[in-house]
Amino acid sequence: MKVQPSAFIVEKRPLLLQLRDALCAEFDYASILAEDTVGKYYRVSRHSVSADEGDTARGFVVKALDKGRYAEYSFSVLTAEAIPEIVEAVRQLLAADVRPAGLAANTYDPPREEPTVFSGATDYELDPADCSDGEILDRLTALRDRGLAMDGAVLDFVAWMSWQRYTKLFLSREKDMTQSVMYLTGGVTAAAMKDQEVKQAYLPCSGLGGMELMAAMEENVAPCVRTALDLLHSESMIPGTYECICDPETTGMIVHEAFGHGVEMDMFVKDRAQAPQFIGKYVASPLVTMHDGASSARQTATYFFDDEGTLAHDTVVIDKGVLRTGISDLQSALALGTEPTGNGRRESFARKAYTRMTNTWFEPGQDKLEDMIASVKYGMYLQCPSSGMEDPKNWGIQCMVDIAREIKDGKLTGRIFSPVVLTGYVPDLLRSITAMSDGAELSGSGFCGKGHKEWVKVSDGGPYIKATIRLG
Amino acid sequence: MEKILSALRALGVEQYVITEKHTDSLECFYVKKNLDLTRRADTAVTSVRVFRPFEKDGTKMLGEAEATVRPGMSGAEVRAVLERAWYAAQFVTNPWYPLPAGVKESARPDAGGFAGKPLAESMKAMTEALFAADTAQDVFLNSAELFMRRTATRIITSAGADVGWEKTDVWGEYVCQCPAPVDVETYHQFNYRGPETAALTAAAAHALEMTKARSRAVTAPKTGTYDLVLDREQLRTLLGYYVDRAAASMIYQKYSPFKLGDAVQGENITGDRLTMGLVATEPYTGFGAPMADLPLLDKGVLKAIHGGPRFAHYLGVAPTGEYRAVQVPTGDTPLEQLTAEPCLHAVSFSDFQMDPLSGHFGGELRLGFLHEDGKVIPVTGGSVNGSILDSQGHMRFSRERFSTENYDGPLAVRIGGVAVAGS
Repeated sequence: MKVQPSAFIVEKRPLLLQLRDALCAEFDYASILAEDTVGKYYRVSRHSVSADEGDTARGFVVKALDKGRYAEYSFSVLTAEAIPEIVEAVRQLLAADVRPAGLAANTYDPPREEPTVFSGATDYELDPADCSDGEILDRLTALRDRGLAMDGAVLDFVAWMSWQRYTKLFLSREKDMTQSVMYLTGGVTAAAMKDQEVKQAYLPCSGLGGMELMAAMEENVAPCVRTALDLLHSESMIPGTYECICDPETTGMIVHEAFGHGVEMDMFVKDRAQAPQFIGKYVASPLVTMHDGASSARQTATYFFDDEGTLAHDTVVIDKGVLRTGISDLQSALALGTEPTGNGRRESFARKAYTRMTNTWFEPGQDKLEDMIASVKYGMYLQCPSSGMEDPKNWGIQCMVDIAREIKDGKLTGRIFSPVVLTGYVPDLLRSITAMSDGAELSGSGFCGKGHKEWVKVSDGGPYIKATIRLG
Repeated sequence: MEKILSALRALGVEQYVITEKHTDSLECFYVKKNLDLTRRADTAVTSVRVFRPFEKDGTKMLGEAEATVRPGMSGAEVRAVLERAWYAAQFVTNPWYPLPAGVKESARPDAGGFAGKPLAESMKAMTEALFAADTAQDVFLNSAELFMRRTATRIITSAGADVGWEKTDVWGEYVCQCPAPVDVETYHQFNYRGPETAALTAAAAHALEMTKARSRAVTAPKTGTYDLVLDREQLRTLLGYYVDRAAASMIYQKYSPFKLGDAVQGENITGDRLTMGLVATEPYTGFGAPMADLPLLDKGVLKAIHGGPRFAHYLGVAPTGEYRAVQVPTGDTPLEQLTAEPCLHAVSFSDFQMDPLSGHFGGELRLGFLHEDGKVIPVTGGSVNGSILDSQGHMRFSRERFSTENYDGPLAVRIGGVAVAGS
């Protein structure tokens, strides 16, 4: 079934068209994004149960260009009476005296727009909104109980699920676009305690759609508990450079944190990225082909158009090791004289649009995982990424993983190190890739920040990879 | 508000917390010294948490769920979202606890230094202060984002609270760039409740100076074990371990072994004994009760458990509300003396992290100063991976002070035996 558009957006559409016309009559360029996002978040642990609204938002943002300068106005209330006030607020904002002496202002041309009328919606099998809260909590409680019952050493077992459904309407002089999207994410976490340290293992699931995606959570209970118990015997990492096999989630974190942020083209505008100097050059092993794009995969960051009315793309960022292009929002493309790639995204209507990743992943290779492990003389099998931080300017890597399993003479020894910090220079790591497995998996249970804020839904992943990495 | 109260009455909801928040935000985005975009966000949202008592298997329960009421919703829409929350609350099987009594007071006007001033005027002053440090050619501000925010909050609860307050603050981030000899950048944040222009200029000047130092750092420290000096935001993050582990929710769920009266810094202390207080940065808790500063640690001994009413009740302690800021007395040792013996003084990480569950801390080193053989060598790259459980007995705090919106305490700490993965 197709996700139905929000009744609120449908009801406000005539007023939004009036507002669009009033803005376009006044300014050199104007657009409106209307958003209605609903969702719920459920969580069950040993000692706590919750069923709350998830990240929801309802409101509007106007972007206007006058005499070359851009301004944006986000607001919550739209009535016929408010339209002149909104136009006046934008006018005042463009004229606001906020800039001290000595600082200049950037100017832009209006974007070139092709006439576009679009309406699209994603599919689902079972709408979570049609399920009773009690039914959902019962399913999560059953997962929790299974996890807790597996071993007396389990301190806690958490099962959570959230779903989000949004409708966005984008209007400008040339564009009239509507989309409705729904995704579901979930995860299980097992915790175990040794002395004063709590060790945790986490397994996510995610996808476009509805309740049908929860089935994947069932399979994750046992491996999650086993991993948490394994971690009780973990040792501190011995710093050094190792041959590593990365699981698809760790590959995804490397793709996203280590490289993806470095090709966000608002970073090119600010001279905050090394990538522009490497366009057309080898930045990775010839085995590596990297994609980003809302239409490049079917995952939680899939949409039909971005928050600036640019249709979704499938951008090949790295083609067989060669850096081809970055990804871009509209204003950065105007600054750089390039084409936007459908990556202009906002945390919500109340926030600015930046260049943001969507579904970011490496294409699979042709190797078998067991052969890859067998080829390692001494190294580590990396699992359970926990966090990462970008460094586009210097292409430094910071990724944290919870598990490094020792490999000796091609076999896992059972020895585990945790936690582990991956560091190094991004192209060195990507060029060191010597094998990629023959399947790719994407995961979209988390959010991505720009620096330390502006959280948007993303997915990332790829195949198992073999690379040389500095671990600490 | 009347629509909400009326819908709650119609549904038979007797226990609730209504939090109404209106935010007016003026935002400026700079690329180099050019204003790239001006934004204003005028948004409002009301969250309503409903509480539903019931019994399950002979145990008294209190279910709860939250609904969001948006401006412009009709009475029927308001009732529908509240009805969904009320329905969900019956499945939330948490043991009963009492909602804390709130107070009824007239709304508190903005008491900060930005009170009464137009946001544009304050924005201009803070922007001027930030860029006042940007005077050199070889190191400069690459980009900056400033957010002047005026927020009005009102809380009404079924337990007698009706309070409101207004506050204005500035939050921002900026990136410093030094193009030569190695083209590098560093990232920084700030947050002030008043026009602390001199503090912002000084912070930006220090950030620019450190960026210049990073540009000269070309090698990573050698792999090994180091005495580590951490400062500023990294020290605040490190000490967050004690705040997190003293939370009622962590203790009740057994993620933290802390108990009142425990020597949580350990028994074998050869360094400074840690004293720490939690500082109230908002006048009221989320339940409309007055918030007060709270002594947390005294010479390494846990003096308080903090948190909301639910887990506090389960543990048999008083609810305190949620804290964001800490105060720590400075130590006796001058920074110069802390770094006199060989050590790695780590001043900047890509993202320094402290895991309160495991006690591990670490991150990728963006800039450090290696003090050895009488020399001070800037280093970059590699990673730090330590455990506060191993280090906490040997912490030595600086005499110098560092203050931000959420921290007032020693500028730096020296801890021993931390693993570094480097060259």
